[in-house]
Amino acid sequence: MTDTLQIRPEAAAAPKPAIPLPTAAARAVTAAGAVLTAASAFLSWTYSSQFPGDLTLSGYPGGLQWITFTGGLLTLVYLLVGYGTPGLRGLAPGGAEGTTVILAVGAAASTWFTLIAISVELGGLANLTTGGWVAGIASLLAVVGALGLPRDGQHPQGHRLGALLYPGKRPELAPAKRLAPAFEVGIVLLTLAAALGVFAYGVDTSYAELFAGFLILAGFAAWALNRSGDFARLGEIMQRHRVLATVGAFVAAGLFPFTQTSSNAEANANLGVSILIFAATALGLNIVVGLAGLLDLGYVAFLGVGAYTAALVSGAAGTAFNVQFPFWAAALLGAVVSGIFGVLLGAPTLRVRGDYLAIVTLGFGEIFRIVVQNLDGTSGPNVTNGAIGISNVPDLNIFGFDFGSAHSFGPFDIGRFANYFELMLIFTAIIVLVFARSANSRIGRAWVAIREDETAATAMGINGFRFKLLAFALGATLAGLAGTVFVHVNYSIVPDTFQFAGPTPPNSAFLLAAVVIGGMGTVSGPLVGASLFFLLQAKLSFLHDYQLLLFGITLILFMRFRPEGIIPNRRRQLEFHESQTEDGQEGPTPELRTAEA
Amino acid sequence: MHELPQNLVNGLLLGATYGLIAVGYTIVYGIVQLINFAHGEIFMTGAFGALSVYLGLGSGTSMWIAIPLMLLGAIVTSTVIAVLTERLAYRPLRNAPRLAPLITAIGVSITLQQLVWGFYPSAKSPRVFPSLPGGPFHVGGVLIQSADIFVVVAAVLSTLFLAYFVRTTRTGRAMQATAQDPDTAKLMGINTDRVIVIAFALGAGFAGIAGVAWGLRYGEIKFDMGFLTGLYAFTAAVLGGIGNIYGAMLGGLVLGLVQNLTAIYIADIPGMSQFSSQSWSSVWAFVILILVLMVRPQGLLGERVADRA
Amino acid sequence: MRNRSLLVLTAIAATGTLTLTACGSRASNSGSGGSSSGSTTVTIGVDAPLTGSLSALGIGIQNSVDLAIKTANKNNEVPGVTFKIEALDDKAAPQQGSLNATQLVGDSSVIGVVGPLNSGVALTMQKTFNNANLVEVSPANTNPALTQGPNWQTGTKARPFASYFRTATTDAIQGPFAAQFAFSTLGKKKVFLVDNKDAYGVGLVGTFKDEFTKLGGTVAGQDHVTSGASDFSSTVNAIKSSGADFVYFGGEYPDAAPLTKQLKAGGANIPVIGGDGNYDPTYIKLAGTAANGDFATSVGAPVESLPSAQTFVTNYKAGGYSQAYGAYGGYSYDSAWAIIEAVKAVVSANNGKLPSNPRQAVEKAMSNVNFSGVTGTVSFDQYGDATNKQLTVYGVKNGVWTTIKTGTFSG
Repeated sequence: MTDTLQIRPEAAAAPKPAIPLPTAAARAVTAAGAVLTAASAFLSWTYSSQFPGDLTLSGYPGGLQWITFTGGLLTLVYLLVGYGTPGLRGLAPGGAEGTTVILAVGAAASTWFTLIAISVELGGLANLTTGGWVAGIASLLAVVGALGLPRDGQHPQGHRLGALLYPGKRPELAPAKRLAPAFEVGIVLLTLAAALGVFAYGVDTSYAELFAGFLILAGFAAWALNRSGDFARLGEIMQRHRVLATVGAFVAAGLFPFTQTSSNAEANANLGVSILIFAATALGLNIVVGLAGLLDLGYVAFLGVGAYTAALVSGAAGTAFNVQFPFWAAALLGAVVSGIFGVLLGAPTLRVRGDYLAIVTLGFGEIFRIVVQNLDGTSGPNVTNGAIGISNVPDLNIFGFDFGSAHSFGPFDIGRFANYFELMLIFTAIIVLVFARSANSRIGRAWVAIREDETAATAMGINGFRFKLLAFALGATLAGLAGTVFVHVNYSIVPDTFQFAGPTPPNSAFLLAAVVIGGMGTVSGPLVGASLFFLLQAKLSFLHDYQLLLFGITLILFMRFRPEGIIPNRRRQLEFHESQTEDGQEGPTPELRTAEA
Repeated sequence: MHELPQNLVNGLLLGATYGLIAVGYTIVYGIVQLINFAHGEIFMTGAFGALSVYLGLGSGTSMWIAIPLMLLGAIVTSTVIAVLTERLAYRPLRNAPRLAPLITAIGVSITLQQLVWGFYPSAKSPRVFPSLPGGPFHVGGVLIQSADIFVVVAAVLSTLFLAYFVRTTRTGRAMQATAQDPDTAKLMGINTDRVIVIAFALGAGFAGIAGVAWGLRYGEIKFDMGFLTGLYAFTAAVLGGIGNIYGAMLGGLVLGLVQNLTAIYIADIPGMSQFSSQSWSSVWAFVILILVLMVRPQGLLGERVADRA
Repeated sequence: MRNRSLLVLTAIAATGTLTLTACGSRASNSGSGGSSSGSTTVTIGVDAPLTGSLSALGIGIQNSVDLAIKTANKNNEVPGVTFKIEALDDKAAPQQGSLNATQLVGDSSVIGVVGPLNSGVALTMQKTFNNANLVEVSPANTNPALTQGPNWQTGTKARPFASYFRTATTDAIQGPFAAQFAFSTLGKKKVFLVDNKDAYGVGLVGTFKDEFTKLGGTVAGQDHVTSGASDFSSTVNAIKSSGADFVYFGGEYPDAAPLTKQLKAGGANIPVIGGDGNYDPTYIKLAGTAANGDFATSVGAPVESLPSAQTFVTNYKAGGYSQAYGAYGGYSYDSAWAIIEAVKAVVSANNGKLPSNPRQAVEKAMSNVNFSGVTGTVSFDQYGDATNKQLTVYGVKNGVWTTIKTGTFSG
């Protein structure tokens, strides 16, 4: 993320390691710790098979032990990179020592999370066997060793996050040599495969503890790979092979149902398609919020308009219009009707003040639900069947392919939800394409100009109202498009789904959070944010009573400390940190700012 | 016959409560151009603050003693929460792009609601609020509850106080100056940070009073009562002309009337009978908001001002 | 040099992918409970809101199913079969219901499901269960369309899903029962109808209205309110000017209590009659003295009058559950027990052993289930609805619900 940010030279002096050890000793301790940590996964950790995943077996890791194993292995690899092991040297262009620290802490955190979870759930530390203690102590040993390694990062002083910055910032990377094209392609494919593997694993985690452990390690690993410079290098390679990477990403995603062979395959495919619908909708919202800077707080209502439209022309029994459109027509109609609603709502609002839109859309989201509830024949004309909703929406059948039943492709059985997953993937691709094409066009640049300074943009001859309306209506259209699939996946549609802040995605507040947390104005941000957010709320269901509270606090904290999200759009990042750069705390040099602007 | 006078009175009473809340939106928006989405929740916490005071007093206390203390409790609770929110959540974002404080406001709103839901004793279902003794009074065929009198008195006194405060006091004039041009106000030696905090506090105080009024009128309060009510109150503020204190009151009254009258009299329009029920009243309020934005975006009492965005 | 580093990278990535895949497969193996030596273990799934604002009802459902399962295991109700529970939280959200349904279907040990609470959730689950022939018994869904198809009101009843059953009584019975009570017992002929626009309330008012007008009563007026609203003054005025004898309210007590309170304060001293959504102590707590004279119908005989119900209450208390069994505890117990009875029938028809794929057999056996449960005799008609049509009217007297009349609906 900080490729372009230069740290002021006086801040860059590397401090001493936290634990004064000779480097060789530190390396040895870390290595011993990491190896032992990985090895401990093969021991039994507890006496009782009550703890999910059954950690009582020796000789074969299970459940959370795999997480510890992976953590130990990763620590070891980056330690070896730092040691200059032949064949690995290119793996940490940004410095291996800082990376090792992060990984060692990550491995220890996930291991200790497991140990604590065992003790809490089974009642007391007595439930840990020697294996468990070995794992805990070995992982701490690795941390101790890693803290003795020389520090290779850059350390801005007086930063408010203090200890979090022990590993330091990644130094500026030297420009990388290009690799042979075949190797670069190989790297792209491998990366995609790895990403698919990690995602599929996360989706398949069958109990909350495993998911939490996975998330801890994944979080630290992502930080580590960012620190090591591997992400930056991968990003460069991906950038060079953009078409391959994009197409490959969709192919990899399309392969997801084929990775699911267990009896949970359909459940995971259902989770997958739900995530996709949520993510695609969030991407549509990102046009409105991220590109044009308009706050839409009732976005899920547009999903609802599309869904209801598609349901009404699906031929479902008991609906007002007894017609059955082919799906392409229903999808188009849903998108168009939703777009019309967008124009109807945006036209009076956007003419006035940008932030009136927020409250009008908030109202619309609420009103939509109430209107739909009332159009039931007694308190309004019968259109939507009121609170009872439209049920038994038939499965799709496109070119003779029945989405409702399972199909066999060679050794793979692809069930109903997997069918819809593939369909939704195509829709997501369309939405990504629309987003990318418009963001990089004259229209997209106009949006950004309006977002940053509407007065200046108007002075430059941009019709602010027209472009804002376009963004708003386009966002509504895309949500409507996603809604047409949504209704078929769920067989039915009821008004209660469309709340501002409900218990499950998609709802307007969660959609906004996916965009904000993921990264405003980027393609991958909302996709990552939505997946993360969806999995978090689906897997950690024990947190549900506090889910909305945590959600509210997260929004506040993100806006305060990282408004650009996990995956920042570079221009957006500068915009959000403008005040800091003016104060000279951190940020790009003046030359860079002019270059960016 | 639909008892028109009673409906008018009911509409105005509902509107007065909206007006009390709308004042908070209008003051804050007038000064920092921020739609404080959390304002509805400030209103809600005020009501819960008053309830806490009442529960603390014990059941034997006379309502004549309890009411002033409850009002105080509501105002203190609302004000403290509003000032803390301003200090911790909004102030650090003063110079951030406009989207940032708006999203933060949404976050604050959800957080406050969930805090009350999760941590106020048995707030997961509605909580019974004490009622005023005496009444109801028959005035020319109209039934008036004692809580209704409270609402009228509170609304009138609050508006008068606010008008006096803004017009004549030093702080009030500083607020006007900041609203007109914050940079120049700063150059003139006005501590704009302080003015903004006072704006938040004033708005919160009125929201607290509105919370008590609401509880007394309906006999129960709940954690999510601020969400829709806040939405209506903002609509009222826009309707009256945002930034104008009298406008907020007027907008509230108009909106209350609209909600109450549409629920009954739309049925008299041929072909519209199905659209006249309590469940449509919020839809009509929304339609009014859209119409106002189309026809008179500056609101009933607002002046056309350039958008300073 | 570079190439070598790539080689190592490839090896690591491959190892990583392999370990991750292996990991996935093991987790799922341990997830599904297979048959162990001696007795077969089957799972009864529960889908209900276990968190959020409806969690009290949902946890009541979960605990009651748990009690049924424990009782069955203790009595060795089905020789050679041990039951266990798997409860999933649907958060009262249709989306989550759909996810839970696929998860329960995926677990091959699940033989039947009790739930859900909300009919909106049921809509997304029904078809998934039906495709897998997995029996679903709802203790709480009252919308007739769930079992009799969307056109049930026009007389063309068609069962959409063979795997869906319910122990709850539908609106089609409760509404008319209340109409008969109001018209014949109370002698009130002019009604004002109010519903809160949710599926339950709308359904109840619709069936009440049909029966009441058929009996000869008149509808003086009708209003609809938004669930969660606070100000019902326009509704109160409409009721007052309509001159109705009483109000029939379709909805739940959080909306009914403020309505009755504002109605009485507004000077209209007429009773409010509601369904089992009103039959809750909180109704009286919220409405205060205004609740006196109001009525609510509820399904089944009063708990005091049924020995089986009293056993349930005693056992539930002895079970040490921290939450009350709530409004749907009895139905949930009976739902689970119906599944257990069906499994018993399947096992005894198959020489005392569970067939290898028992779901379809259990679905068939459900229609012949007949036993005396907590809520009365439990059996299902050709649509999967409970045949038990016993209802009770309760009235508020001096701040408590008291039994007014118990009867069987025939109509």
